[in-house]
Amino acid sequence: MHFSKEVVKLRDVWVAYSGSDRPAMCNINLTVPLGKLVLITGPNGAGKTTLIETCLGLLKPYRGSAYLFGVDTRSWRIRHARRMCGFVPQDFMKPPFEAYTVRHVIRLGFAPYKSIFESLTEDEDRRIRRVSELLEIEDLLDRPIGTLSGGQQQRAVIARALVRKPRALFLDEPFSSLDREGRRLISRVVREYVRAEDASVIIVSHDVNPIIDYADIVVRMENGRIVSGEGYA
Amino acid sequence: MKVMLEFLGLALLAAVLSGNLCGAIGFYVQRLRITTLSFSVAHAALAGASIGLILNFDPVYSAMIVAVASALILGMIFARIEYGRELISMAVFSASSAVAIFAIYMSNVRVLATASIAVVLWGSLLAITVEKLILLLLTLFMFILYIIAYRIQIDSMLYDVKMAEAEGVNVQMHMLIMLFFAGLIISSSLRLTGGFLVFTLLYNPVAASFQISRKAHLQLLASSILGAASASFGLLVSYTLDWPVGATIAIVSSIILLSAYMMKVLVEAFRRRCLSRP
Repeated sequence: MHFSKEVVKLRDVWVAYSGSDRPAMCNINLTVPLGKLVLITGPNGAGKTTLIETCLGLLKPYRGSAYLFGVDTRSWRIRHARRMCGFVPQDFMKPPFEAYTVRHVIRLGFAPYKSIFESLTEDEDRRIRRVSELLEIEDLLDRPIGTLSGGQQQRAVIARALVRKPRALFLDEPFSSLDREGRRLISRVVREYVRAEDASVIIVSHDVNPIIDYADIVVRMENGRIVSGEGYA
Repeated sequence: MKVMLEFLGLALLAAVLSGNLCGAIGFYVQRLRITTLSFSVAHAALAGASIGLILNFDPVYSAMIVAVASALILGMIFARIEYGRELISMAVFSASSAVAIFAIYMSNVRVLATASIAVVLWGSLLAITVEKLILLLLTLFMFILYIIAYRIQIDSMLYDVKMAEAEGVNVQMHMLIMLFFAGLIISSSLRLTGGFLVFTLLYNPVAASFQISRKAHLQLLASSILGAASASFGLLVSYTLDWPVGATIAIVSSIILLSAYMMKVLVEAFRRRCLSRP
C-alpha cells in the first residue's frame, strides 16, 4: 500500500461534537511533513486534543478534509495509516483495580500487526525490554499498571507507543503527570527518536518549556482556531 | 423415569452451555461498554421469537435472525454516531417489546401458559432438544475460536478502546462480531430463560465476577462459571419445586450476585481490621 510522505494534511477542517451547537475546531489548515517535531500549544479548551484526534481520524470533520499519510480519515483504509502511528491519549490513567501488567500493556501495542492466532516474537519481547530501559521502567514491567503512579503509568503508555516504531508519534499532554526529571527524560527520548527514525512527533501540550527549544513547528491554538504558527504550511 | 432423566440431563447440559456463553459474552459487552446495546438486542430477540409464533416458524431461529440483524444494524449505526446511543438503544428496546406483545396478541395461541408462549416469555424445560443443544455447542465452539484467534486485538480493546482504534486495530469489526455473538447467544438461550429474563444470565454473573476479582481473565472465567452455575442450579430447583424455569434461574443468579457482594464486603472489612491492628 502506498502512503504519502506528508504525515498530516488538514484542509479547511471544521469539527464539531454531536449535540454541540458550536464547532470545536474551525477552518484549520495544517501540513506536517516527515521528520519534524511539531508542538501544538494553547490554553484549556483551545481545541488541541480535538486537533490530534482529528489527525488520527478518531474525529471526522464535517467540513474540509483530513489526511493521515495521504489517506482520507473518512476512508476505511485509515486503519492501515494508523498502524504507522503511536498515540498517547490525555486520559491514559487507569484505576487502582486495573490488573494488566506494564509488560502486557506495552505488548498490546503490537496488536494491530498480528494476524489470527499469531503471538509475540522474541524480537518484539526484546524491543519491549529495550524501550522500557530507555524510559527507566524496566523494574515495573511485571507490576499491575493500576498500582503505579500517574508518572509511571504515563511512561508505560509512551513505551507502548514507541515500541511500535511509529513513523508518526501523537502525544497528547505527555508531560502532564511527570516530574522535572521525567519531563527531561521524555523530551530527550522524543528528540532522539525523531533524529534516529526520521519520524514525526506531534505533541499537544499547554506546558511548552520541556520541548519548545527542539520543536521545528510551533502552532498556537485558541478557541478552536490556529492563531499563530512558526514553520507550518 | 429413564426418559425423564435423559430429558433432564439434556436440559442440564443446555443450561450449562447457555449460562457459560451468557456469562462470557456479558463480560465482553460490559468491558466494551455496549451493555445498553446488548439489552436492545435481547429485546429484539424476544420480538423475533414472537414473530415466529405468528409465522409458525421455530421461535429460536426467528429470534436469531432478528437479534443478529438488529445487532449488526445497531453496531453500524453506533460506529457512526458519538452521542445519543443510549436513547437509540431505549427506542429499539421499546419498539421490540411492543412488537413482541403485538405478535403474541396476534398469534393463534391466546393463553399465556401454553407451551409455545411459555418458551418465548418465561422459558421452558420442554423446549430443550438435541438440535438446540447442537446449536449451543456450535455457538460455543465458534465463540472460543474467535476469542483465541483475536486474543491480542480483543485484549487491546478491553484495555482501552480509543488507543486500540488509534493504533489501527479494527475496532468496528470486532464490535460487530461481539454483537453478532451477543445476538446468537441471547437467541440460543431464549428457550431456557425466556425473553424477559435472558439478561439476568447476561449481567448478573459478570456483576458477581467483578465482586470476586479485579483481574480481567479471572473475571471472564468467574463470569462464565457463575453463569453456568446459575443456569444449571436454577434449572434443578425449578424441576424439583415445579417453578417456572426462567424466573428460578433469575432468582438463583440474583442470589449468587448478592452473595458475591456480601462476601466482598466481609473480606474487605476483615482486611481493614487486620491492617488496623498494631
